[in-house]
Amino acid sequence: MNNNENIRNFSIIAHIDHGKSTIADRLLEYTGTISAREKKDQILDDMELEREKGITIKSKAVRLEYQAKNKQKYILNLIDTPGHVDFSYEVSRSLTACEGALLIVDGSQGVQAQTLANVYLAIRNKLRIIPVINKIDLITSNPEEVAKEILAISDLEIKKEEIILASAKENIGTMDILEAIVKKVPPPSGKIDSPLKALIFDSVYNSYKGTIVYVRIVEGSIHVNSSIITMSNQKEYEVNEVGIFHPKMKAMNKLSAGEVGYIIAGFKDVKDVSIGDTITNLKRPAQKSLPGYKKVTPLVFCSIYPVDNNEYGNLKMALEKLKLNDSSLFTEPESSQALGFGFRCGFLGLLHLEIIQERLEREYDINLIATTPSVMYRVTTIKGEILNISNPASFPTKMEISKIEEPFVNLTIITPSKYIGGIMELIQERRGQFKNMEYLDEKRAKLDYQIPLSEIILDFYDRLKSKSSGYASLDYEMCGYMISDLLKVEIMVNKNVVDALSFVIHSDKAYARSRKIVEKLKEVIPRQLYEVPIQATIESRIIARETIKALKKDVIAKCYGGDITRKRKLLEKQKAGKKRMKKLGKVEIPQEAFLGILKLE
Amino acid sequence: MNPGLYVHIPFCRSKCYYCDFNSYPLNSKYSIDEYINALYKEIDIHVNPNKSYSLKSIYFGGGTPTILTGLAISHLLLYIKKRFKIDENAEITIEANPGTIQREKMQIMYQSGYNRISLGGQTFNDSLLKNIGRIHSSAEISASFKLAREIGFNNINLDIIYALPGQSKDELKNDLFRTVELNPEHISLYGLTIAEGTRFYDDRKKGLLKLPTEEIEAEMFAWAISYLESKKYEHYEISNFAQRGKRSVHNQIYWDNLPYIGIGAGAFSYLNGYRYGNLKDPLAYIQSLNKGVLPIEQGERLSREKMMSESVILWLRTRDGVNFNKFMQRFKVDFHNIFGTQVEEMRENGLLEEDECCCHLSRKGVFLANRVFEEFIIL
Repeated sequence: MNNNENIRNFSIIAHIDHGKSTIADRLLEYTGTISAREKKDQILDDMELEREKGITIKSKAVRLEYQAKNKQKYILNLIDTPGHVDFSYEVSRSLTACEGALLIVDGSQGVQAQTLANVYLAIRNKLRIIPVINKIDLITSNPEEVAKEILAISDLEIKKEEIILASAKENIGTMDILEAIVKKVPPPSGKIDSPLKALIFDSVYNSYKGTIVYVRIVEGSIHVNSSIITMSNQKEYEVNEVGIFHPKMKAMNKLSAGEVGYIIAGFKDVKDVSIGDTITNLKRPAQKSLPGYKKVTPLVFCSIYPVDNNEYGNLKMALEKLKLNDSSLFTEPESSQALGFGFRCGFLGLLHLEIIQERLEREYDINLIATTPSVMYRVTTIKGEILNISNPASFPTKMEISKIEEPFVNLTIITPSKYIGGIMELIQERRGQFKNMEYLDEKRAKLDYQIPLSEIILDFYDRLKSKSSGYASLDYEMCGYMISDLLKVEIMVNKNVVDALSFVIHSDKAYARSRKIVEKLKEVIPRQLYEVPIQATIESRIIARETIKALKKDVIAKCYGGDITRKRKLLEKQKAGKKRMKKLGKVEIPQEAFLGILKLE
Repeated sequence: MNPGLYVHIPFCRSKCYYCDFNSYPLNSKYSIDEYINALYKEIDIHVNPNKSYSLKSIYFGGGTPTILTGLAISHLLLYIKKRFKIDENAEITIEANPGTIQREKMQIMYQSGYNRISLGGQTFNDSLLKNIGRIHSSAEISASFKLAREIGFNNINLDIIYALPGQSKDELKNDLFRTVELNPEHISLYGLTIAEGTRFYDDRKKGLLKLPTEEIEAEMFAWAISYLESKKYEHYEISNFAQRGKRSVHNQIYWDNLPYIGIGAGAFSYLNGYRYGNLKDPLAYIQSLNKGVLPIEQGERLSREKMMSESVILWLRTRDGVNFNKFMQRFKVDFHNIFGTQVEEMRENGLLEEDECCCHLSRKGVFLANRVFEEFIIL
């Protein structure tokens, strides 16, 4: 079945919880790729965290075989995409490996900002889009309204009859979706007899098989035992295995133009393989590589330190392992007076940061301290040097600075119109500049703002959700650096500067935020045997102060027969808790002191 | 090693607001008689056929043991005396709550061999008594005490709690004046602890409890120690004071981490390095014994490290502290080899003091004992 005519490559665009994974499951079941007996819920989200958070983090591919109504057999390659704003670069990668996309919209929720952004991305990539309204079984579902919203998406040239009504839960519309994929998504155009061009759209590291590269064969074919080169760095490899995802990895003799699958070829390191690169045949190379991808740049930074300095080695190893599967994670060794040796890390967004942090703690069992997330500031010194600073601790003094710029983003929010007031207020607090407002229909509006990235990386998403009863959705993209009136605030605990607690903030907000931070620290730092002052300073000037009083009395009053075990366990728990704290000088600071600052509001 | 015996009576007229002991108001699911029958069955299980040990002390605690009839109280002890070998001068204590003991009951208790009474007074302030859920008045405390004395008890403990909601320093002073006036041989003075599952715990969560600040609590404790010491009470354990020769034999078994047998619902035993607790629920306890099944709910075999930690922590609760020879005898290793660095750090912080034979909490250490104990936990 190497006939291109019978291959369809598609991905799914959907907002979180709009039913992408359940629809994917129905497609897998319907085509017999998996039996209902084998299935756990949501097959594609196989990372523990993905299942827990209900999100897809990594791209995945799976091959379905479908006998269409016209009696012909088709190979359908589904390339799964993450749905969260942090991972839009993964989405763009998946989309370029496809000719079509299912646009899934929850019939009771309507089109969301993130979905819209991904639809435009798909349109730009010339993908054929098949709109599906899901969850039509829900009483709150309003397919008519949602259909209007879909039809209103500019450049999406579809007719109302083309929108498929589905309920993955009730298994409605599954066959319509499969038929639409066969009929509407064009077959891949590459020729099997051309020189090989394979697009790398992802890679994972497996401790048994080494680096596994996910590819879309665009032109030609690739065989086991053939010699290949990666075009960007001209490195040669011998192909050990090629195969498809069915949904588990299944080895094949070859992969041909139009197909999606994997290659194992003795790539030592994920770093050897850059995503977006083109693989070609050594003996019969292609002339030109495929366009590839824009390089991913981290937007959010924070420092990660082990609580116990002896765990530095473990942390280093764990980060290296995570990087094998996550090319967007940026790390750089760093040392802090307060926290010892650690890493400055760059992430795609706050969710990405949380996921990495949780994986380090859970999968690698390392107690971490992560500092307050920050963005990359651009500081021009009076000498005319331009410094890119992602760590507030290394901010120069006021005397040395001629100007400071910070990154801004174009922010798009889609919300039911009744929440507009509250949302505008929120954005105003966050220094957002209003650009545009547009009604999608009678009830929903799209807001466009320009806003400093630093204002939306912390708790903005949560606040937006609470201001809109969970209905508003957001998307953003970088729009460049602009001058801002920023200051660095330092925090001193027991008269020692804790560099890891330093932060950069707009001058209008410095005082109020410092106040809140010292109050919060007073709350979370346990009483010590002596009095501990907590101060916030700007250029050595104290702008806020609190004092933690000395501990006066801490003693278990009673300890008889049955108490002994209980009290010992209590002490054990306390001691274990303290082990998770960082000792700065003589003061024990719990991890939440570093994290708690995120959650001030 | 001669153990102590503890017998638990898990019933009260009503539950005090701070109480997190295994005690229940009487109800209709089972009768006190059924419970007492179960106690007899458990005693039978424990009987040591060779009588290779004899009991150093017996302690009836609760709940309110004196909620039982005088007859039941004396029969239980007589049965225990029949089934166990008992030291000639064993300390035999019963806890009693004012208002639950009439003259006749007290007389029976005395005659059947109880030689120590522990009276739950808590405070002499009638409005505080009411606010913490006690069912007796301050007058009843004095009356019960005097009655016990009159009948012949020459070893009486009085329980007092301080740092009660709304209590002032002066009110505590008054409590201790009244206490000392009665001249008990032993005083247990507990700082109020708010435990999960109690009414006070919920009240505090709702912001309904006006507790003294930690500073006031510390001042109360400091004053109490000085005052009681000036009245010739030895501060021999964090919460306990005794006249010369009147330390509690039974409780010192706990603080020496020596073996004890616990009988009754939720009672703990510590035998041969194994500490286990009985079923807490009286009905489950009764049913288990009726079926002839050991009523054990939980237990742990202590590792050597845990035994060391526990022994040191318990010793440190007492004025005598850790005796280095005793440590060596018990664990066959030098105390400083195991805990040298901890002792050094705690000495620097002024929480521990040390001489040639022993180390013990400093005055400051008594107030911050948990900090010290934590150091001696081996994780």
